[in-house]
Amino acid sequence: MPTPATSSLATPPPVTLFPAQPFRARHLATALVLTAALSVSACGSPPPPGSVAQAEDVNDPLEGTNRFLYRINDGLDTYVFRPVAVAYRDVVPGGVRRPIHNVLVNLSSPVVFANDVLEAKPRRAGDTMMRFLINSTAGVAGLFDVATDWGYPAHSADLGVTLALWGVGEGPYLFLPLLGPSSVRDASGYAGDAVFNPLTWATYGGSAAVNGARFGVGAVDARSRLIEPIDDVKRTALDPYATFRSAYRQNRQSTIEETRNDRRATVPAWFNR
Amino acid sequence: MLTRRTALLLGATAFATFAAGPRAWAQDATGFVVNLGNQLAAIVNGPGTYEEKKRRLAPLIENAVDVDGIAQFCMGINWRRATPQQQAEFTRLFHQVLLNNIGGKLGQFQGVTFRTTTTSQREGDSVVGTVIQRPNQQPNNVQWIVSTASGRPKIIDVQAEGVSLRLTQRNDYSAFMTRNGNNVDALLDAMRRQTGAA
Repeated sequence: MPTPATSSLATPPPVTLFPAQPFRARHLATALVLTAALSVSACGSPPPPGSVAQAEDVNDPLEGTNRFLYRINDGLDTYVFRPVAVAYRDVVPGGVRRPIHNVLVNLSSPVVFANDVLEAKPRRAGDTMMRFLINSTAGVAGLFDVATDWGYPAHSADLGVTLALWGVGEGPYLFLPLLGPSSVRDASGYAGDAVFNPLTWATYGGSAAVNGARFGVGAVDARSRLIEPIDDVKRTALDPYATFRSAYRQNRQSTIEETRNDRRATVPAWFNR
Repeated sequence: MLTRRTALLLGATAFATFAAGPRAWAQDATGFVVNLGNQLAAIVNGPGTYEEKKRRLAPLIENAVDVDGIAQFCMGINWRRATPQQQAEFTRLFHQVLLNNIGGKLGQFQGVTFRTTTTSQREGDSVVGTVIQRPNQQPNNVQWIVSTASGRPKIIDVQAEGVSLRLTQRNDYSAFMTRNGNNVDALLDAMRRQTGAA
């Protein structure tokens, strides 16, 4: 069943097109300063999705700079990122791409877990912990996502959402080269997530190469999953920049609300029977 | 004079309406979306060329979706800036743009299946939740907003992973208008180019 016209947005561009990258402590300082600069706003209830109130607020005081960065990124995407992603999808069979994606997701578990805890969502933290244990063992080092079949479905969590649940305001919209649509809050969260990631800090023989590969493969994997949605927006929108901005902000708001409203009990379902 | 029996009857009726009401709207809206979804899936997954499928989709969309209402919503504040002729032309073009956009995705939805989740109410409209599954893709949460304001159910918005079709489209048009001096004719020209009519 086609989803009229929004289906192009069925999987809107994610927060980041890239997984956490190698990171240094001075970035943490920048992140903290940015976070502190954000207004801690008790924003009350946000306007309902699709409403006029939500439509009129684009939250983009840096639009000139953002559009400039969007154009640069779009050029890079057209001539480098997209062709690489298309080649990856055409050349590498799905039976190989899926396990690669699963490994990347599994490696992000510590960051997701940390955020589940910071969000005070014990059930989600438990799910993440079980997923990591099951998929790292029965799932053969994360190659196979058996945890989903065993009743521990994946969910996303990042510091941007965590900060939002703590009451930190969105801050101005940002379009970042390589990373795509973001906001001051989400960009700070992205930086903070890299700090949470043990892989950022672990040093061993070849750790730099491993982190580089994780970053590169993650980027290609993420872009290859967005080929049609991004093509659709560029083909159908009169102003793709504004359309990406709108879709990104709605999707983030929806993720925040979904996390906020996840009040499942910590006891497993069989316990209640 | 109100007899005790009449009063009881009225009370019972009111209670029955109240009790049955929510269930009735939920069933109606869900049934409407399931029926529409089945028809759409039958066309998308069925036999026929791309052009044939697109032709068969058109009457289904026109019948089930409040395209005129969505068009007006998408133009937002600029609707009042437009003359009646411009409004009519915008609405006509919007129908074509919407059908083209849906038609352009036919291939991506080959083999699609869906199931409904929960139905709730938001600001007087029904929100029917579905999970759409395409082969080799992650499942997508899609909500169908159904209004019965016109007397029969019509889709007034579709929200995929929290992203509203009509709001995103409205933001697109609004950004375009801002960058083109709020000139309605510029918008109409751009839409004509999109539909290949200029």
